[in-house]
Amino acid sequence: MLLPRIIPVLLVHKNGLVKTVNFKDHKYVGDPINAVKIFNEKEADELIVIDIDATVDQRPPNYKLIENLATECRMPLCYGGGIKTIEQAEKILALGVEKVAVSSLFFEAPALLEELASRVGGQSVVVVLDVKKRMLSKKYDCYINNAKKNLKLCVFEMAKKAEQLGVGELVINSIDNDGLMKGYDIELISQVKSQVNIPVTAVGGAGSYQDIQTLTEKMPVIGAAAGSLFVFKGKYRAVLINYPTAAEKNSILKAFN
Amino acid sequence: MITIVDYGLGNIKAFANVYKRLNIDCCYAKDVSALSRASKIILPGVGAFDHAMDKLNKSGLRDCLDELVLDKKVPVMGICVGMQMMADASDEGVADGLSWIKGRVRRFSYENEKIAQACPLPHMGWNNIQPQVGSALLHGLDEAKRFYFLHSYYFDAADAASVVATANYGIDYACLVNRDNIYGIQCHPEKSHHNGVALLNNFANL
Amino acid sequence: MREFQVCSRCVMDTTDSKIVFDSNGVCDHCLDFDQNTKPNWHTDERGRAQLQAIVEKIKKDGEGRDFDCIMGMSGGADSSYLLHVAVKDFGLRPLVFHVDGGWNSQIAVNNINVMIEKLGLDLYTEVINWEEMKAFQLAYFRAGVPNIDVPQDHAFVATLYNFADKYNIKYILNGGNISTEVVRNPLDWLYYGTDMRQIGAIRKQFCDDPLETYPFSSVLRHKLYLRYVKRVQVIKPLNYFPYIKEEAMQLLADEYGWQPYPQKHFESRFTKFYEGYWLPRKFGFDTRKVQYSSLILTEQMTRQEALEKLSKPAISDEEARHDFEYIATKLDISVDTLQEYFDQPNKSHRDYPNQETMYNIGAKILKYIGVERSIKR
Repeated sequence: MLLPRIIPVLLVHKNGLVKTVNFKDHKYVGDPINAVKIFNEKEADELIVIDIDATVDQRPPNYKLIENLATECRMPLCYGGGIKTIEQAEKILALGVEKVAVSSLFFEAPALLEELASRVGGQSVVVVLDVKKRMLSKKYDCYINNAKKNLKLCVFEMAKKAEQLGVGELVINSIDNDGLMKGYDIELISQVKSQVNIPVTAVGGAGSYQDIQTLTEKMPVIGAAAGSLFVFKGKYRAVLINYPTAAEKNSILKAFN
Repeated sequence: MITIVDYGLGNIKAFANVYKRLNIDCCYAKDVSALSRASKIILPGVGAFDHAMDKLNKSGLRDCLDELVLDKKVPVMGICVGMQMMADASDEGVADGLSWIKGRVRRFSYENEKIAQACPLPHMGWNNIQPQVGSALLHGLDEAKRFYFLHSYYFDAADAASVVATANYGIDYACLVNRDNIYGIQCHPEKSHHNGVALLNNFANL
Repeated sequence: MREFQVCSRCVMDTTDSKIVFDSNGVCDHCLDFDQNTKPNWHTDERGRAQLQAIVEKIKKDGEGRDFDCIMGMSGGADSSYLLHVAVKDFGLRPLVFHVDGGWNSQIAVNNINVMIEKLGLDLYTEVINWEEMKAFQLAYFRAGVPNIDVPQDHAFVATLYNFADKYNIKYILNGGNISTEVVRNPLDWLYYGTDMRQIGAIRKQFCDDPLETYPFSSVLRHKLYLRYVKRVQVIKPLNYFPYIKEEAMQLLADEYGWQPYPQKHFESRFTKFYEGYWLPRKFGFDTRKVQYSSLILTEQMTRQEALEKLSKPAISDEEARHDFEYIATKLDISVDTLQEYFDQPNKSHRDYPNQETMYNIGAKILKYIGVERSIKR
């Protein structure tokens, strides 16, 4: 039976890895290559690596880094950050990466994205939606540029639009919950899921294996992604890469055994 | 040498990474002279069926490939769309397949609304495979036999005898097929950690 | 050229250029152990009572604080077992301190994780800026000296002392021990990582990064100022009770899900490469000889067993090739460049400015006043 995917998310900033809180307060957590190597040895289900500078700095992806990371991965790797053209996406896929993730490109050039999905196959194209709840409202807005720019576009409509473009997966990233480690925004994720019939991955807020268990028991076909949970330990937020062992994974996903 | 068909599709580097780590020589074949020296062939593939067939047909490798596989019986393993190409045809397009293993590629579709809801496409993630018959490819896998899958179409084999293992996603379907020297696998051994490495190693040792 | 000779009791040999043998062919490491270390090493009731007294003091001084002592943890056997004993047997409440130099293996992070989880302890990690660590390590490669692990080593020591100093922590538990480390690496193999004159010289000549955040601490500061002015005490509990490495590792595996690793120091990918490949292949220095000799002297390994293990390389050629590539990739240089570093002429720490004389005098004083029993040379 298909298992929920438990996915570490790594953010690249100035060649190093960082972890944020509400998309701010970057804390340096080390070098990407060794982190990816450790996650590979821990047999993570999948890995998402996002370069959070590339789009903001208006520079192309760091292909050398992507290739080095892909070389260490015996698991699917999803890369995002700075992808603006089909050629760039194809180049990245040729480096040994399974999926390319885009965010601002989806809003700026949907036709290009549609063409990309038909060229490389929708299964290799992921749209990341950075989402924030509107104050005193049930509405969720989509943001770009590391949560600096509110597009005032409804996440549920955007999710449907991405599906129509032929995108293979949606990553729903909660800006409100980022780095707080207090659990996923289950309401948000389940609403997105009810709108589309493509795989959805939730990120933002996971603070314990219990949070993953709660999410996956509510929504069996899901990607449960997390940043802080897999790089921090304890009250001092000590950097220590960790990931559930096979036995721990069985326990988290016991509903699926 | 293990030769990965490089016709412009598929994550060919991922296979090379695994074999390099296993200290097994492998190479890419972009032309007939490289391909004709193959002792084992890996046929990767992603994306749309017609696009993949078109690319392969235009690569100039097709005749050589048919000859190696059908006449010289060189072991070949098709992966993902590389497996689907081994069928006669696909619902995804109009192009002819390689017709190496009898069957048709179909899109997952579920009449039951509930199952359809529970099975978004693509089928993405880690799923276990269920061996139907013994196969040298499956030696040394662990108990759970989990592999990474990423696809919306599956291989509907005409001859049940060619089905080596199945997976379940709303329905049971063939995820590993075999006829003589020809193997097709739907999931991605190159991205399936220890089980995938074991399977690729088994293929090298066939 | 001196004729090759192996000690008749341990496995140290003339690759340690300053080794001396007596008329029975026994080396000075063994004699030093017999004469200076063994008579002062008590792992029976007497040692335990001594340690108990120290522990009582640590606990008393730590009352009301979040933790009563601090200990550095690499994920290796020594620090892991020390942590187990300190908490389970002696009821101490250490803050576990880890320095991430960018080369942690999966085994290292697993071992730290399982221990702090099962013991319910807090972890504090200091991550060294990788771009700086990389530049610093490359400088050592270029310098061509044997001890290219100085950038990691120094950071581990300095960070821990800096932290203790900043937060007024008086007790540092240290996994250093006689049982597995009584024979020391000769200075020609692993020169002091705290010699600031040497570090400064190598930085100046070979390092293109200003190392603005990298932690430095001179030996004078942490051995004199912190110890005698700030009264920071370093305690090595493993010397006060029997520490049998094999048994300790088995216990850790059984109780914690701790993962063993093939050789001392291999919990760091870099140190594995360095001690398992670089040092033996480029310089002919095999640190296993030192490790096994310690275990022979403390009766945890037979000489025969050690010789058999030494007849095979620490890392197979295949593994070495993969490691070589990984190290190059991680350091952001080509395999060819790393090979060039390997092929360039071997240098010694004496080829660069150093403070060896000061260390020698210091070591003699420490031995004279009884702080150190044997002299590292």
